Amino acid sequence: MGPPTPFNASDVAEKARRDLLLLLEGIRGKKNLVLEKALAGSLNLLVKFSTLQEYGVDKPFFLENDNVDSSQRNVVFLVRGEKAKTVLAVSNQIKRIRRESQIEHEFSIFWVPRRTLVSDQLLEEAGVLGEASVSEWPMFFVPLADDVLSLELEDAVTDLYLRKDPTSIYLSAKALMLQQQKHGLFPRILGKGDNGKRLADLLIRMRTEVTAGESPSATGPSFLGLTPSSTIDSLIIIDRDVDFPTVLLTQLTYEGLIDEVFNIAANQTEVDSSVVGGTAPQSGQTGSASTSMKRKIMIDPKDYLYSTLGDSNFAIVGNLLNKAARRLQSSTERNQLAAKTTAELREFVAKLPGYQAEQASLKLHTSLAEEIIKYTHTDIFTRSLEVQQNIMSGLDPTTQHENITELINRDVPLPIILRLLCLESTTNAGMRHKDLETFKRAVIQAYGPQHILTLSSLEKMSLLQPRGGSGLGATPAAKPGSVTNYTPLRKSLRLWDDEVNEAEPNDISYTFSGYAPLSVRLIQSIIQKQTLANIIKPPSDPRAAAQANPLAQGLRIFDDASKYVRGATFDETQTGEEKAIKARSMLNGSHNDAAKTIVVFFLGGMTRAEIAALRFIGSKLKEVGGEVRGSRIVICSTNMIRGSGLVGSAIERERFGG
Amino acid sequence: LHGKPGISFEEIARAAYDEGRVRLATELLNYEPRAGKQVPLLLNMKEDNIALDKAIESGDTDLIFHVLLHLRKKLPLASFFRVINTRPVATALVESSALDQNRELLKDLYYQDDRRLDGSNLLLSEALAQPSLSASLDKLKLASKYIADSRDAPSVFQRQALDDAAKLLRLQEQFEKDLGPRDGGITSPSSSFIGLSAHETIFQLLRLGHNKRALKVQSEFKIPDKTYAWLRLRALVNARHW
Repeated sequence: MGPPTPFNASDVAEKARRDLLLLLEGIRGKKNLVLEKALAGSLNLLVKFSTLQEYGVDKPFFLENDNVDSSQRNVVFLVRGEKAKTVLAVSNQIKRIRRESQIEHEFSIFWVPRRTLVSDQLLEEAGVLGEASVSEWPMFFVPLADDVLSLELEDAVTDLYLRKDPTSIYLSAKALMLQQQKHGLFPRILGKGDNGKRLADLLIRMRTEVTAGESPSATGPSFLGLTPSSTIDSLIIIDRDVDFPTVLLTQLTYEGLIDEVFNIAANQTEVDSSVVGGTAPQSGQTGSASTSMKRKIMIDPKDYLYSTLGDSNFAIVGNLLNKAARRLQSSTERNQLAAKTTAELREFVAKLPGYQAEQASLKLHTSLAEEIIKYTHTDIFTRSLEVQQNIMSGLDPTTQHENITELINRDVPLPIILRLLCLESTTNAGMRHKDLETFKRAVIQAYGPQHILTLSSLEKMSLLQPRGGSGLGATPAAKPGSVTNYTPLRKSLRLWDDEVNEAEPNDISYTFSGYAPLSVRLIQSIIQKQTLANIIKPPSDPRAAAQANPLAQGLRIFDDASKYVRGATFDETQTGEEKAIKARSMLNGSHNDAAKTIVVFFLGGMTRAEIAALRFIGSKLKEVGGEVRGSRIVICSTNMIRGSGLVGSAIERERFGG
Repeated sequence: LHGKPGISFEEIARAAYDEGRVRLATELLNYEPRAGKQVPLLLNMKEDNIALDKAIESGDTDLIFHVLLHLRKKLPLASFFRVINTRPVATALVESSALDQNRELLKDLYYQDDRRLDGSNLLLSEALAQPSLSASLDKLKLASKYIADSRDAPSVFQRQALDDAAKLLRLQEQFEKDLGPRDGGITSPSSSFIGLSAHETIFQLLRLGHNKRALKVQSEFKIPDKTYAWLRLRALVNARHW
């Protein structure tokens, strides 16, 4: 492996941290920090608050609360600069403080990730541009785990699919471009989806811009940097609207379910302290004052126990916990008994903190798992799962209508209903006109007339649509590429697997107990062709695998499948200038293909179950040393997403008389 | 000359423009790959539409907004709409920013583009924001009227839904008047009706024992018997629970 691994989580984090601290250092003295709420999580992952304090931050405030006090002379705003709304909020607060405060303040604004022309214009119109010192904090990717990077753009889904605002595409391109400048061009950019295509085009365009920028006056060493990378194999871009059902389904991995039940944000989740209250009899914890307090829990990918649990199907989590408990018990007991000599005793004591940490983690996850079991045993959960599985396995969706109607009648939370309805619509290229109207009416009557807006938003996002054309089986001919057609794909990509093995998974379908996420299947058809071919056509003939794996980087499975998948298909090769390529290959000598990194980028959000599935593929690739392409998979996305968030972005919150 | 790095076509074009040769400058700018440098100059040269197109090509929403703000200030509204409505990205951005800040603009936009459903939705969301019931009802009426002429299926559905919403609100107002104060002593905190969905209204009525009124709501909104049975079951369980 080349010394600098591309897309290295700790490098990315380190750079972002340094940039911010440098900016803070630039402002002398103590300061109050005004933070956009949506940035708090990312900030928390990058910098400890104590570090911020060392750099002179006195008190943090949220921009949304509009309550910055005038205790410090310096006021620092840390906000995203892309939305006019936030810019206006900043300018209003500056004006308010100026009006109310006795002292003369120094304002600084750090735009994340960049200063925009529009923000300048708006601040100028408000007459505050002159008194603020403005800088940029170029924070793009936030590492959530060693192999997971996210831009943490909360609004990406609403922006992209509802408002058709391409800002997040642009920011993604910028973020990827920065990595390219460091580690070389992606030799290949493949992918699926219209927005994905736009992202690929932008990347190619930005490359020419960078080249143009290399004027003699501003020479950088980047000339070599813009040759194809020797450590990255390719970039695979998947547009979310290629595969909505995967998001709509209930995730069945442990981490996925934690996200479904408790909602994970920036690796943290809030759990009612009554659930985990017993776990931490921490000295001096005053949290017991109010019993129903929410407690923040870190979902730490570095935690040893969690790293084995997180990606497992929930069905076997009980066993895993049990095993861990036994191991822990035996190791402590045996050691205690054997600890006769002082040397042995010392060794044991040295290990104690490790055991204690593990024990605490075990306790935490046992109680979380218990809570999730309670949830998964409710009638509503099993009913909705039943509907999901039936739809995904290809049963006629009309047979499920009665189930859905009953769930509506029982006043199940709206997101659950919408997920089921959207699932039917997205897997069947729309709903029958009559059925759609019936359900729309039912939703409005059950949940309130304000949801006329919700339904129309869902339609705009193409999540809930009338069937295109005159219906009745004529769908494939309707408009090629306008919708994803699951009926042929179910078979040709083997999206449904009845004999799924959850305990010792042999396929990614374990993450949804039967359904293999289409998005990941598409990626598989590029990087794990042999295995996928074997899954689709069980190897009655052992040579079948070889035949499905042509010499060139053929994409037969991918090409066949992508005919039925919505949006543009693209496959670009980036080459550099001949001389530079030669120079580079001489510098690096021959390189090992298998050790290369494959970057997977989900545009418009990814689910935790998909991450689990990709990790599963990654570990298999490592075993065999890669199939054709590299074996280290790095997963990037604009944001993390779950079904309730996807439909939630459409749900109208206002109500009459509210 | 083309394709060589390090040559700034922007500077050449700027020189050409300073010489008064606008055409030449525009053509030269086509060779400038950095949109960030093309666009401001194009705006300077009053080549607004080209500037907008270049900004859209660049994918940089900031640049697009910049041009849009510029155009919005310069052009009369109608011609501004004409410029953007052939460019979906520009329209989307105008819409999305107007949604937060300038709803009047949005109304005009929908009107000019004849996007009736969107216009009606906008009125509906305004209806939701009204502080008083009568104001809400007025807005609802407007929203329904807005699509009164359209005959396509979605509009017909929408109009019906809107009219139902108004009807429901009026009924709820009535219930509140009739039942609110009188039963106030017993269940005052939960006897509010306005804003509930049809199902919730029935549920509430049944829970308070007003079966007749509940039946009326059912027939008024053609709620299936099965649904009604479920509501009844839940309401009774709930009532005993209290």
